[in-house]
Amino acid sequence: MALAFLLSGFLITAFLMTIAKRITALIRTFRLQSIFLFLYTLAMAITGKHIELFIICVSILILKVGIIPYVLTRIVRRINVEENLELAVNPQLSLIVALLLTYLSYIFTHRIMSFSESMGSTVFAVSIAMICIGFFIMVSRMKALSQVLGLLTMENGIFLAAAAITGGMPFFVEIAFFFDIFVFVIIIEIFVYRVNRLFSHIDISKMKSLKG
Amino acid sequence: MLIGAMLLIPFVLSIFSLVIRKERALGITNAFGYGSLLVICVLFTNNFLARQHPLSLWGWLYIDSLSVFFMLTTAVVAFAASVYSISYIRSETEENKISIHKAGAYFHLFNLFCFTMLLVPLLNNLALVWIAIEMTTLVSAFLVGFHNVKESIEAAWKYIIICSVGITFALLGVIFFYYTSSTHAGIKSLEWVKMLEGARFFEPKIVKIALLFIFVGYGTKAGFAPMHNWLPDAHSQALSPISGLLSGVLLKISLYAILRFVMLANLSVGYAFSAKLFVLFGLCSLGVAAGFILVQKDLKRLLAYHSVEHMGVISVGLGFGALGGIYAALFHVFNHAVTKAFMFFCAGNAVRAYRTNNMNKMQGMIQLMPFAGIAIFLGAFALGGLPPFSIFMSEVLILIAGFVSKQYLVSALMFIFLAIAFAGLVHHISKIALGSKPQSMPRQKETLSIKFALLFLGIFILGLGLKIPNLFFILLSSCQKLILGQ
Repeated sequence: MALAFLLSGFLITAFLMTIAKRITALIRTFRLQSIFLFLYTLAMAITGKHIELFIICVSILILKVGIIPYVLTRIVRRINVEENLELAVNPQLSLIVALLLTYLSYIFTHRIMSFSESMGSTVFAVSIAMICIGFFIMVSRMKALSQVLGLLTMENGIFLAAAAITGGMPFFVEIAFFFDIFVFVIIIEIFVYRVNRLFSHIDISKMKSLKG
Repeated sequence: MLIGAMLLIPFVLSIFSLVIRKERALGITNAFGYGSLLVICVLFTNNFLARQHPLSLWGWLYIDSLSVFFMLTTAVVAFAASVYSISYIRSETEENKISIHKAGAYFHLFNLFCFTMLLVPLLNNLALVWIAIEMTTLVSAFLVGFHNVKESIEAAWKYIIICSVGITFALLGVIFFYYTSSTHAGIKSLEWVKMLEGARFFEPKIVKIALLFIFVGYGTKAGFAPMHNWLPDAHSQALSPISGLLSGVLLKISLYAILRFVMLANLSVGYAFSAKLFVLFGLCSLGVAAGFILVQKDLKRLLAYHSVEHMGVISVGLGFGALGGIYAALFHVFNHAVTKAFMFFCAGNAVRAYRTNNMNKMQGMIQLMPFAGIAIFLGAFALGGLPPFSIFMSEVLILIAGFVSKQYLVSALMFIFLAIAFAGLVHHISKIALGSKPQSMPRQKETLSIKFALLFLGIFILGLGLKIPNLFFILLSSCQKLILGQ
């Protein structure tokens, strides 16, 4: 029951991200999604009673709920990003695409993976759907920050997939991944400022000097 | 021991470059550092081949002949790039294009970049390999966007985002491998040695899916078409010594990661499946690149597309597989690394002298600077694959492997695409090199360090075309055996 609630939380936040029209809404939804991820690992930690799982849990809380949304909102505040996301694909169509991707993820999971218990397969299907939707956000929004958020959604999906099918990666690997995401976000911040200073906007679809 | 020293050198140098504030002194120390790194690397290779035993160090590192080969390639190109950097950075600072402060930052990033690249082939844990490869992207993005102008920042942004997405897919592949290894083989670890022991029990269906993700993911970074979009931008906008490293080494480091997973997959699905994927991506890259090479106007983009072309050649060679194809492909990895670095260094000189990347505005380079001019002219033939240069040797070996394994159509297609690329390249480069130089431009002074870097790489380009040293032959053959799991 609780798990079903969490899983629908993942899907709903992913859908909300595809139809979000403002960058701040996108960041807020990402934070909500990370909270669901935190709750999911917390549930795993409580049932598994591993100290390592608790550490991973806390790292998610600090990094994905705390630092990353904070850094992104700081960028928005500092450079006065134009709030409107100018969707290349309108919200209705985006939602249909997202639903289609979710359906395909289910089919993929049932065809390819052979899970003994149905819950594992559902979690996996949801995680694949998140990865696909994250990718869709990246290609359909040509703003720098929404690309980053799409990528982060994909990473959330990957994290969930790892938890679903393997019960989590080895401990130090997880920690290394967190470090990697952290470095990624910091470097992205630096580059967003540079892009903004040189182009006076952060609209990737308007960058056209390199062709052919 | 030697390995420890080898990894320490770039690390120490990177700290050095934060302290010393003289770009010339820094450049020379750097070059000496990489010189000794190369010597250590050669000594290690020698020791290693005498023993022929994989080596495990501190639980983190695992070194077999494949690691040694990629490490050696990296060390050779990194040394040449460090020598070339001396005068490149010096003239950039003299022209006030970059400040002394930024020169220090350059050497700092250069060392971090080389450190991450040297680390990848040595790591035992496949998840750490993933992280190290992501780190190469993040570090080199600064070197791509070094000049802080619109074009280079755009290229750096594309580079970070596209490669990060690619590598996220690769991570999914890694997770699939981990899944099948932990549930079907009972090995709850991502360490290469342990996974290899259980690789026989992997579930073939999942391995195939995982391998697809690995190919798309790491293939993005290895410059396979159709995921190559970022490559011409990043390689043309980076500083020229860095372009050499990006094209020469970084693409291959990514290929190394693919090979590791292919070796795991061999034991459950066989090499034939991977071979099909290699041929598919290889032909795709060859075809796409050949088209763009013909219509190219920008010198460094021309060379960047040529890297896509050669990644295609390597990939097709790997696809030809058992009958010498892998040997030839790995040989080509080395040849392309040195030749492409050579060409990017020459192109760097041209771009700096003419102050443009546009090939239509360059003429008479041989008159303008005889050494680099002749070098770029000969280099075009070497890169296009004419005898007696080394790329000719490896391409012929790949074609022979293709015919021996009866893949006539693929071989013929590869030959046609290579011919197109050759025509395009020689046409463009001869226009640059020949003719008379613009009246207004005085003859350029060519510094010793540039000449030395070009000569150093030239020795490999010509030498390996004439004769393959015994040591190198043993190394490549044992790599081929390793990949096929014999």
